[in-house]
Amino acid sequence: MAQSQFAIETISLTKIFPDWWGRPRVVAVDNLNLKIYPNEIYGFLGPNGSGKTTTIKMLLNLLHPTKGAAIVLGGTSDQAAVSSRIGYLPEESYLYRYLTAYETLDFYGRLFGLPNSVRKARIETLLDMVGLAGAGNRQVGTFSKGMARRIGLAQALINDPDLLILDEPTSGMDPMGTRQMKDLLAELGKRGKTILLCSHLLADVEDICDRIGIMYGGRMQVEGSVKELLEQTGKTYIQTSQVSDAALSKVRAILEQEHCECDIVHPMDKLESFFVRTVNKAQQEMQTTSGAGVGSGISGFLAEKEIVRQPGILDKLVTSRAAEPATPAESETVAVTQAKAEPSQNRELLSQLMEAKPAASGQPETARPTESVKPAEAVKKDLLNQLMDRKKPSDGSTTPTDNPK
Amino acid sequence: MNSIWAIARNTMAQALRMKIAGVVVVLLLILLPMMSMIMIGDGTLLGKLQTFSSYGLSLVGILLCILTIAISTFTLSDEMKRRQIFLVVTKPVRRWQILVGKFLGIVIVDVVLLGLFSGLIFGLTMFMPRFVAASPEDAVKAGDEFFTARVGLKVSTDEQALQERVKQRYEKLKEERRLPDTMTQIEVLSELMREERLGEKSVEAGRVRKWTFKNVYPASDPNAMIFVRYKLDTSNAVSDVTVYGLWAVGDLTAYEQGGGSLTTPIYNLQKDSATRAVQEFAIPADAVTKDGILEVGFLNNPNLNEMTVIVQDLEVLYKVGTFTGNFWRATLLILIRLLFLAALGITLTTWLSFPVAVLGCLAIFSAGIVNGFIMESIDGLGAGIGILYTFTIKPFLLLLPQFDGDFNPASYIVSGRMIQWLFLLRTAAITVGLKGLILLGFGIYIFHRREVAKSVV
Repeated sequence: MAQSQFAIETISLTKIFPDWWGRPRVVAVDNLNLKIYPNEIYGFLGPNGSGKTTTIKMLLNLLHPTKGAAIVLGGTSDQAAVSSRIGYLPEESYLYRYLTAYETLDFYGRLFGLPNSVRKARIETLLDMVGLAGAGNRQVGTFSKGMARRIGLAQALINDPDLLILDEPTSGMDPMGTRQMKDLLAELGKRGKTILLCSHLLADVEDICDRIGIMYGGRMQVEGSVKELLEQTGKTYIQTSQVSDAALSKVRAILEQEHCECDIVHPMDKLESFFVRTVNKAQQEMQTTSGAGVGSGISGFLAEKEIVRQPGILDKLVTSRAAEPATPAESETVAVTQAKAEPSQNRELLSQLMEAKPAASGQPETARPTESVKPAEAVKKDLLNQLMDRKKPSDGSTTPTDNPK
Repeated sequence: MNSIWAIARNTMAQALRMKIAGVVVVLLLILLPMMSMIMIGDGTLLGKLQTFSSYGLSLVGILLCILTIAISTFTLSDEMKRRQIFLVVTKPVRRWQILVGKFLGIVIVDVVLLGLFSGLIFGLTMFMPRFVAASPEDAVKAGDEFFTARVGLKVSTDEQALQERVKQRYEKLKEERRLPDTMTQIEVLSELMREERLGEKSVEAGRVRKWTFKNVYPASDPNAMIFVRYKLDTSNAVSDVTVYGLWAVGDLTAYEQGGGSLTTPIYNLQKDSATRAVQEFAIPADAVTKDGILEVGFLNNPNLNEMTVIVQDLEVLYKVGTFTGNFWRATLLILIRLLFLAALGITLTTWLSFPVAVLGCLAIFSAGIVNGFIMESIDGLGAGIGILYTFTIKPFLLLLPQFDGDFNPASYIVSGRMIQWLFLLRTAAITVGLKGLILLGFGIYIFHRREVAKSVV
């Protein structure tokens, strides 16, 4: 296998779809030179029909390029050595409707040639992780789109891939799932995975991607790091905690002296954070009232609820990082703003994103009832570790030995 | 191997969820026991057994063939249509492993279903004598002619001598300038050949004809029997008359020579037979000489028959194996068809859509059902069609599978005829090993090159 410094490299990659007579009709991808570095989260953006999915399909050998070449992990993806290191989630979860969630993951695990014990351990972990532990014996055909998406994601992770290719991973997912997916991707990125992320949810891409590229008409229009592309060097943004009016007018006076335009407002919370908080709170309350209202609910709906609850684990999974002596984070909003201002410090952003929640003492309205779930957190962290073959001395028995690396 | 097995299992799950599989299973589970009860054949136990086993095996064969066609054309094409294949081919699985896995899955489904339904037929057949009030003779006849595996020997004609005679007659006609002007040389020759062949079988009134069978080696059991099977016809066109005949079986040559050199008993048998129906009689096996020679003679009694009698399809049969062994070999013969069709279906869907592939499979399956018949009839057209046929249609027909004639398992079971292992292996080698594998290899090649996500605008 040829060595390449890139995780993904395409050379003048071109795809022209012919019509029935074989005449060239649609130029889907035009001379694309994509370069994605190892351990990078790359946001692959563009409107519908701009050639993103076609590019991905060429990377995965589902389509043959009309011209050019695609090098993935130093080879081509039809080589078993390469494809065993790729996790792929297509634009829709093309699953076998008649298999249960467990059987589905078992099937893909077998295709990766995972030994029985490893496969079983990973499936349990993944089902837990995507919040479908309770639905493992349900047939995928009965799943909602979002649930199928979660299984799709689990399927893409079962081989502990080095490269994740995700096409619209959050489509059809509820905001909790979306949030989770985002956190998970950030965490995976932190753990050295390369991720090619195709998404229309620009806010998410902005939050987690190191670099982005925007396609249009099969051509790469613009490419660069999030900071490069988004930083507004002509503006400065200051954030403080509660300030007295006197202090504010002083600040304003100073800035006016400097002839700066100044606008003082209260920052808005993100709807996403607000939603997540609300749902978590509701769930927490339901748990304490011990299911009196739950029993009469509709099972499908409940199942969804359960998923919603489980994913909380994921945030916390990442949250537990805060146990380390972390830099004191003032608030969630601060973290996000900083991230926008300092995109180059993405790693920091990620950790802050995750650490943000325990900062409950600082801001009561962001307080989340984390205490009660804490034991679970530790477990989930273990699960992720386990899944990713990071050996922990305590669980040597289940530590997979099949890591191809 | 793990991934092939995973795909095979998934294919089985997919197959068993197809409605057609359920329909076939339910249909057979109802039909087979019902058939065993209502089919009576010609009223005898033998007739009932023959009718049921023949229809039963044919029904199972044809329904499983259709099911195999349905599954094998559905499994890959459906995964392509629903794009589930995207998640399979992007895994470290070779494309050939996908097809082989699918093939394996279908084979397992086939083996299980075929085993189930053949077992059902077998069980019903074995129990049938107990439920039918049959006379002892009927029961013996069923035992001799049905619950057995017999080898049949046909009259071997000395082809060279035959051709020589034809040639001589032709030369003679030519010498005497009696060749008809309206016929070509080939036509004359084939007409002479036909006459000669008929001559070998016909016995003029008042004459005796003797046929010699070589390599007859029945089991050395003192109770072993030899069965002589034939069909009579007459030279006049009136159909369905009774022919009176006298048969003699044994070492007839020694008998004719007289003296004390007789090595076998001679069995004489007066048997009146209707024309154009298969007849059979049995004689003890000691009529065969130590060298494995059996002679069968037919006397056309001029006092009773006034016309020439033509003895068609003369065959001697004797037991060489058990019904059970033979029945399962017949089942294997069905399995060979199924394996071929599975390979065919999968191959066609590597580049055709489901409906087109189903049509293609059904066409080839039907061609296989009548293949032997077509070949025979074209061969029967004579030498005139010769070269054109030999180089165009015949090779094409040879490429197709052959499911009829000698390859029809029911015909063996009905006549209690032995399916030789060698024949079974040869059929398997040609139909599955050669034709099936070539097909599958072709499918793998196409699938390997194919763009799975191809879209045409």
